[in-house]
Amino acid sequence: MKDTNKLAMALFIVSEAFFFILLILAFLYFQAAAVADDANSANTLEPKKTAIYTALLLSSSISIWLAGRGNNDESRKKFCVWLMVTMLLGAAFLFGQAREYARLLSHNVTISRNLFGTTFFTLTGFHGLHVFAGLTMLAIIFGLALAGDFPNRQSTAVETVSLYWHFVDAVWIVIFATVYLRIL
Amino acid sequence: MSDISVSVETAEPFPASDEQAGLLGWVASVDHKKIGILYLLNALVFFGVGGIEALLMRVQLAWPHSAFLSPGAYNQIFTMHGTTMIFLVVVPMLLGLATYLVPLMIGASDMAFPRLNALSFWLLIFGALLLYFSFVAGGAPDAGWFSYAPLSEKPYATSSGLDYWALGLLAIGAGTVASGINLIVTILALRAPGLTIRRLPLFVWMVLVNSFLIILALPALNASLVMLLVDRELNGHFFTASAGGSPILWQHYFWSFGHPEVYIMVLPAFGIISEVIPVFSRKPIFGYAFVATSTVAIALLSFGVWAHHMFTVGLGHTWDIAFGAASMLIAVPTGVKIFNWIATMWGGAIRFSVAMMFASAFLVLFTIGGLSGVTFAIVPIDWQVTDTYYVVAHMHYVLFGGTAFATFAGVYYWFPKLSGRMLSETWGQAHFWLTFIGFNLTFLVQHVLGIVGMPRRVFTYPDLPGWGVMNMISTLGAFILAASVLVFLWNVWRSLKSGEIAGDNPWNAWTLEWATTSPPPVYNFTQVPPVRSRRPLWDLAHPDKPDWAA
Amino acid sequence: MHLPSPFNPSSPHALATAHLFTIVLWLMAAIFVLVTGLVLYIAWRYRRRPEQSEPRQVFGNTTLEIAWTVVPTLLLVLIFGLTVNTMSTVDPPVAQEQADLRVIGHQWWWEVRYLKSGAVTANEIHLPVGRQMLVQLEAADVIHDFWVPELARKIDMIPGHPNHLWLRADHAGIYLGACAEFCGMEHAWMRFRVIAQSPAEFEAWERDQLENASSPDLPEARQGARLFQEKTCVSCHAIAGTPATARIGPDLTHVASRQMLAAERVDNTPATLAQWLAGPQALKPGSLMPNLQLTPDEVQLLVAYLETLR
Repeated sequence: MKDTNKLAMALFIVSEAFFFILLILAFLYFQAAAVADDANSANTLEPKKTAIYTALLLSSSISIWLAGRGNNDESRKKFCVWLMVTMLLGAAFLFGQAREYARLLSHNVTISRNLFGTTFFTLTGFHGLHVFAGLTMLAIIFGLALAGDFPNRQSTAVETVSLYWHFVDAVWIVIFATVYLRIL
Repeated sequence: MSDISVSVETAEPFPASDEQAGLLGWVASVDHKKIGILYLLNALVFFGVGGIEALLMRVQLAWPHSAFLSPGAYNQIFTMHGTTMIFLVVVPMLLGLATYLVPLMIGASDMAFPRLNALSFWLLIFGALLLYFSFVAGGAPDAGWFSYAPLSEKPYATSSGLDYWALGLLAIGAGTVASGINLIVTILALRAPGLTIRRLPLFVWMVLVNSFLIILALPALNASLVMLLVDRELNGHFFTASAGGSPILWQHYFWSFGHPEVYIMVLPAFGIISEVIPVFSRKPIFGYAFVATSTVAIALLSFGVWAHHMFTVGLGHTWDIAFGAASMLIAVPTGVKIFNWIATMWGGAIRFSVAMMFASAFLVLFTIGGLSGVTFAIVPIDWQVTDTYYVVAHMHYVLFGGTAFATFAGVYYWFPKLSGRMLSETWGQAHFWLTFIGFNLTFLVQHVLGIVGMPRRVFTYPDLPGWGVMNMISTLGAFILAASVLVFLWNVWRSLKSGEIAGDNPWNAWTLEWATTSPPPVYNFTQVPPVRSRRPLWDLAHPDKPDWAA
Repeated sequence: MHLPSPFNPSSPHALATAHLFTIVLWLMAAIFVLVTGLVLYIAWRYRRRPEQSEPRQVFGNTTLEIAWTVVPTLLLVLIFGLTVNTMSTVDPPVAQEQADLRVIGHQWWWEVRYLKSGAVTANEIHLPVGRQMLVQLEAADVIHDFWVPELARKIDMIPGHPNHLWLRADHAGIYLGACAEFCGMEHAWMRFRVIAQSPAEFEAWERDQLENASSPDLPEARQGARLFQEKTCVSCHAIAGTPATARIGPDLTHVASRQMLAAERVDNTPATLAQWLAGPQALKPGSLMPNLQLTPDEVQLLVAYLETLR
């Protein structure tokens, strides 16, 4: 039986992927055309620090996978625990982003400073927004699980949200590689 | 032949008894049939609004140096006319027909996600309200429906009109993507047993391909809009040259949406024609595989032609040649369909109901629009006639002569199914001729205006020889078109009240929507007929020569 | 003067397009006649007769379908060949040549600078017949588009992205042009003209344009000259030979020599000039020239002065 929820989420992910590709292309285009001395990725970002928060976010993909396994094994407690871990890791990532934003703003690297600022904040901002939406979805699933939902193995809701969460992580991998590590 | 999907059981829609009566029943409904009708009503209302905007423009342009409208008012009106017709009329009209018909045509009881379906519609209403609120909040957007930067940026567009434009379109776009996803999942997962992908009615097939276009093209619009909002509200620099940004980037991004969007506005129309012509010619579609495959070709190619809107930007001959070639190429799958439709009619026993009259006129009018489109792919010609009334003529021939005529064909064809009553053929013929005459009078002469030098988006023009007369002819045509809409409204109104009762299948058609009552019950089908070919009802009516034995 | 149509070509560039366009239009007409003819014929021949039963059910014909896919494709390949060929005639390469003319688009007027001689004017371009000039096109604010159909292709003027165009007229005359990219409130009245003259006349014109404005003789005009310097006119307009050097609005050194005012909005006469000065917003609402609240006497004096600037 085709899982309509997962199919719908997969299609949504394809659509959002295009959205992010366009924002990333804008970042790369203006990076290539940038003036050397002004604030840019090389002289304002701290990849090593961000790598820590990146690791936290990527770990949350593992924890949500573990949560899904727990659900199928009908062990609700395990499910809830791993779900909570996922949410905490996701929140930690957003916290790290907030700290980075605060640091940049205190150095007057704003969205209006130059094109690095404009493209950087737009791209990472929309990613953060998507992480936040994911956290909201996780919180809803968590609440429902605590209230006794998902008693059986057929819950596509958890797998659907997991798909979204993995997508959000995958986008971050691309952003981290292109914006912080400048591999392109 | 292997079945790809046999799924009929999915999440149940709300049971019938939960459906409320009266107005609340409509507002709270998650029934795809009610939502489909709401979409159509919305499209009708905004067709009137957009039409009034057009009439205002045509009155202003009826003679040179007119002071009927100030330039500021005119610029807001032409921007809103384009935005309204595209986002609040054509797309909702087609999505509305799809929402209503697709579940019926595949033998399902509703869409895969009924609540998401309702959300899509209400996001459309929300976006429309945001867009129109701008008129009373400092001024409607006035930078044209594609809002080129830096004109769309501050300090050039100072009112908040463009912010409402961006926000309204973001809301509408979200709903459209949701519809696209809903339609794809519905078509892939909810088909009746025996209804393989290769047996899909062409309207459903076109809607399926179109939905993929939607989910891939709308993100480009969303990206463009958020970048514009960042520039306008947060002092970003994406598109402002003075800070190192690129106005040309706006064009690339917008047209990456904008070009697929025009196919989004025409593929379902092709689907309607592919249903109407066979039924009224009493023959199956000629070359189903070709028509279906060419649709996929169009969808794929549509992502590779966007820069033909930018031939005058000065991207260099390499870009111009590449996109010119791709644009010529896309004419092939579009054009061959015309021949397939004509071949369907050939050797038929054609009944010229009003639906068939509109469909036949579509063939001629869309050909004109398509041919003028090909002239734009010829780069040096584009270098002369783009941004003139020649392009205004082209777009109206494909969108009105094409999509709107096809939609009228679809309305006359499916109105009996939606309402249980037939539209009057007599009033329908009056509607048809007024529309045909009014439309051609309005837009044919605009080809000439473009060729004698009249640019587009001008609130007035110098008194050059012939310009005044041609504009006056166009204005008269617009008023005849307005009259035609009134005749149509009268036909709908009168038919709803006292039209002939339709019965299940008044046209002796062959697809599944005709295998239930008119209008269908909430759950759509008491029993879905067996599906062994593309025309299940033909097979039932002709057990001696069914399609699957052909 | 004749209609500004690509079908009135007066340069080799425009001629190449006109030829191609003519061929293409005939081809399109033929296809239109074919399709319409078929539809009309079918409507007559295959109309349902009373008591007619269902016709023969035909599902397709692969050979036919391939044919009507291949033939249009071949036709398009041919057209593509013609297209590429014509492009290089219509829009010859620029290489590293230095431009002769710089045209800068403003909301809603055209700044025209002859780079080799230094002449400056607005809204009117003079060309010597038969000689081509390389025009560099820029924009000071939003995107505009330079279109003079009888002479050349249209090309955008984009801030931050200069474009180039070869401009040439083979016959003397006046060629009307227009901005062809919506650029705001008065886009409709951002028009211009190209005046092609014999080489001798062109050189005479250019020499005149290079002369500074001289101090006027008559008292009214002298008072007008003083008013010009005293009032805010100098914040936007330049008059060579006077302290006024601003480039925000059109250069007025030879304003009286031009055929039209306000980018083709009105003829250039003392009466219309007075009308303009009394209230630019009445003639061209949205124009960036404010209403200067001049008294009728002040207007008269200024007009007297400006009319001496030939």
